[in-house]
Amino acid sequence: MNYLLLQVETAVPEAVSTGLFDALSPLEKLLFTMILLVLFAGGWSIMNLSNSLVQMQKARLLAKVDPEILKEVGIEAVAPTIPWWKKVYDRMTDYVPLEKEQDFLLDHDYDGVQELDNNLPPWWKGVFYISMAFAPIYIYAVHFSDYAMSSREAYAVEMEVAAEEVKAYLATQKNAVDETNVTYLADADALSNGKIIFDSKCAVCHGKEGEGGIGPNFTDSYWLHGGSIGDIFKTIKNGVPEKGMIPWKSELRPSAMQEVASYIISLEGTSPANPKDPQGEPYDRSAEETEVTSSK
Amino acid sequence: MTQTTSSAAPSTTLEQFAYDNLSVKRFAYATAFWGLIGMTAGLLAALQMIYPSLNFTAETTFGRIRPLHTNAVIFAFVGNGIFMGVYYSLQRLLKTRMWSDLFSAIHFYGWQAIILAAAITLPLGITTSKEYAELEWPIDIGIALIWIVFGINMFMTIMKRRERHLYVAIWFFIATWVTVTVLHVGNSLELPVSLTKSYPVFAGVQDALIQWWYGHNAVAFFLTTPYLGLMYYFLPKAANRPVFSYRLSIIHFWALIFIYIWAGPHHLLYTSLPDWAQSLGMVFSLMLIAPSWGGMLNGLLTLRGAWDKVREDPVLKMMVVAVTAYGMATLEGPLLSIKSVNAISHYTDWTVGHVHIGTLGWNGMLTFGVLYYIIPRIFNTKLFSTKLANAHFWIATLGTLFYAVPLYVAGWTQSSMWKQFTPDGLLQYGNFLETVSAILPMYKLRALGGTIYLIGVILMIYNLIKTVKQGEFANDEPAAAPPLAASPGGHKGEYWHRWIERRPVQLLVGSTIVVLIGGLAEVFPMVMVEDNVPKIAAVMPYTPLELEGRDIYIRDGCNNCHSQMIRPFRSETERYGQYSMSGEFIYDRPHLWGSKRTGPDVHRLGGKYPDSWHYRHMENPQSTSPGSIMPPYDWMLEKKLNTNQLAAKINALRMLGTPYAEGYENEAINDLRKQAAEIAASLRDQGIEDEELEEREIVALIAYLQRLGTDIKTRPQATSTKK
Repeated sequence: MNYLLLQVETAVPEAVSTGLFDALSPLEKLLFTMILLVLFAGGWSIMNLSNSLVQMQKARLLAKVDPEILKEVGIEAVAPTIPWWKKVYDRMTDYVPLEKEQDFLLDHDYDGVQELDNNLPPWWKGVFYISMAFAPIYIYAVHFSDYAMSSREAYAVEMEVAAEEVKAYLATQKNAVDETNVTYLADADALSNGKIIFDSKCAVCHGKEGEGGIGPNFTDSYWLHGGSIGDIFKTIKNGVPEKGMIPWKSELRPSAMQEVASYIISLEGTSPANPKDPQGEPYDRSAEETEVTSSK
Repeated sequence: MTQTTSSAAPSTTLEQFAYDNLSVKRFAYATAFWGLIGMTAGLLAALQMIYPSLNFTAETTFGRIRPLHTNAVIFAFVGNGIFMGVYYSLQRLLKTRMWSDLFSAIHFYGWQAIILAAAITLPLGITTSKEYAELEWPIDIGIALIWIVFGINMFMTIMKRRERHLYVAIWFFIATWVTVTVLHVGNSLELPVSLTKSYPVFAGVQDALIQWWYGHNAVAFFLTTPYLGLMYYFLPKAANRPVFSYRLSIIHFWALIFIYIWAGPHHLLYTSLPDWAQSLGMVFSLMLIAPSWGGMLNGLLTLRGAWDKVREDPVLKMMVVAVTAYGMATLEGPLLSIKSVNAISHYTDWTVGHVHIGTLGWNGMLTFGVLYYIIPRIFNTKLFSTKLANAHFWIATLGTLFYAVPLYVAGWTQSSMWKQFTPDGLLQYGNFLETVSAILPMYKLRALGGTIYLIGVILMIYNLIKTVKQGEFANDEPAAAPPLAASPGGHKGEYWHRWIERRPVQLLVGSTIVVLIGGLAEVFPMVMVEDNVPKIAAVMPYTPLELEGRDIYIRDGCNNCHSQMIRPFRSETERYGQYSMSGEFIYDRPHLWGSKRTGPDVHRLGGKYPDSWHYRHMENPQSTSPGSIMPPYDWMLEKKLNTNQLAAKINALRMLGTPYAEGYENEAINDLRKQAAEIAASLRDQGIEDEELEEREIVALIAYLQRLGTDIKTRPQATSTKK
């Protein structure tokens, strides 16, 4: 027992002591390396920059004191060292310096507008070449290889992945409500949630108080598509498209449909101002209780 | 100051002539005036999206005001701005007067007449519904004629020039002229039904491709290339600096006009347009970054060594921000053309924000800069108040930012909300309205930005009026230049491109060929190869009543806010249903895919709601959708459907290829009445009382809406609209 514990205890620090770098994911390693590189480059250029500033300052001071000293020291003409980033910048832009501009002025003159003969900026050419090179690669990848998917293939994959994710999620939700197991919720919270949904989505067709309008009346005991909680749930879920009742399954989650179905049942027997005439078959809710109990 | 005589002036005697400043003045006044009108219309449209009660009458609903705004700012504000700049710079760059004062006058008055016609017909609902080409066929013909008058005037001026070589600004003017001609004619191929109604020759996906070949290149060749031409003249003049690089001008000019034409399909990514065309649109859009930035670089780098002037001079300030905005918009555009980015941005306000960086930033600010440059010069005076112009500069910059940034946020927010799912696989925001309510605060900020920008324009107009009052104007400005040298030849060792710069005709032909390639490569296969639009057997032509309903949908500009194109994404098929397929649109003349979803997509609306829902919804959208910002269309409940043109419409559509049987034009009215009676009966069943329901426009609209997207629906057919 003791031996076993010791084993476990030593094993843990050992795993950690294999080094920080190994604990990182490949992506983090890459990031880490890049940060190091940037830091290194930054430090190096700061040193380089300060060095060139020192050199320039030295030359300036010497020249101020006595230009002759420069020759004595053996420095013919102190050209300030150009830092590397400036060199890169100059190479990438390739602009004619302002002071040499006159030599690069073309003999064009349009109402006083003249033109310089600057080269195409190399960085700009680079961008152009890259964008041109990308075109055939992209077209090949999408249309002539198996590497990339067409819009519709990508859609099929997206739907498949989503379906699996939803399935996996629903498997973790033990009590998913559907029309076979839905029950009437009598508590005030559920009914008030149901009312909120009803007011925003159902009242348009079924009336603010469930009195009916475009759709049927909920306050009488007549039902077109069944009056049990399961039937009502099913009607809400799948709709009755041929009569204009839209399916709500893509907008309401099952628990919400349960709440609104319960609220609808709670409306039965109320007396709104302008009730629509009853439609469908009468449904005896008191019988339901016995039925449910009897089936148990 | 404007009269820098050629430095290479030989000893020959100078010829005396005069520049026509009258035309310049006319176009300058027009651009300022229409800018004010067009932007006010834009502000109204922006406010209508926050306060639907501002949709006062049928004529002033958003669906009609928005096209009025876009047409006014593009063709009236920018259009007159182009002509102002061209008439001023062309004469001076060629050292000659405009060829014909008569043509200049016809051009000016003709163009204003077209704008006036647009301002009258669009609110009346006379529209083709094709974005930026909404004007009906008689006005289209007017545009073509006036455009040709402009072209003749420009080319004859070039022909009698005193400057041998054409400057880069003029290459851009030439390319603009020829490409706009081609685009306008190509996109306006339509068969008239009456003086106020026509159907396009192409249908569905083909019509959509041609529309965006046009629409995208209206941006390219109306808002971009002519303004690059203006930049190439006015920016170096104002800065008194040589243009940065002649070679860059050459490369970016030819690259820009060649590549731009190919990029149109990026407006149709993930739609039913075949994938090959989408891919071409995307890669050519990315290739546009460098040619576009060539223009920005040549503008900004021309200011090297002149940045101290930029600090002082409002003209240069305006131009610097304009050119920078151009660079930003032309980088953003290609990025938005990347399919995965477009999947997020399309149909949202991101696109609207992007466009306004271009229009407010680039077109607006450059126009202001040119106005501040030209007006004092042609009135022989100084600008009334530099301080006020500087204030205008800051106001315009702020206004642009206040306009665009909230729309970026709105676009990202709404797009994320559209795509958000709950873990149990439902749309988090299943009700589209939630995603609209969430961005209303951004719409308010956008309206504020627009207001700020408009205030700037008013300040400018005041400043210009004061400048005009203190100055003295002469129609003719005397000038002198040596005559064109007798020998046209070049010299040894000259740059190769100089050859074509001496030859305007070759330049015209060359640019025509270059711009035709891309358009033909994309349009021809779409129109000629049948495989590109797979047929679907179940898709049938519209019934007469649906057809009339569709034309009401077009009249009221529903497509300005509702798309009819469901993209193949889970977030769209869950919300709207089966994604759209090209075969479903073969009888759609014109296509109504839309480009913005201020409201939800309606392609599969058919059968989703009962007839009476649509009736109530049109009467007062808030009654069926609390919080909706859609305007009411209650007049449709009152107005009687006009069926006078029904037979002519059937005939026209048959001629274009819709398979209506011979002689059906005579029976159509009976079918129409029968279907109207069925819908009226279903409405009455659902409690709607109206003696003359059968004859109302609303019944036709409901017929169309209930038909939408139902041809391929597999589930049981809904409602009573089916025969």
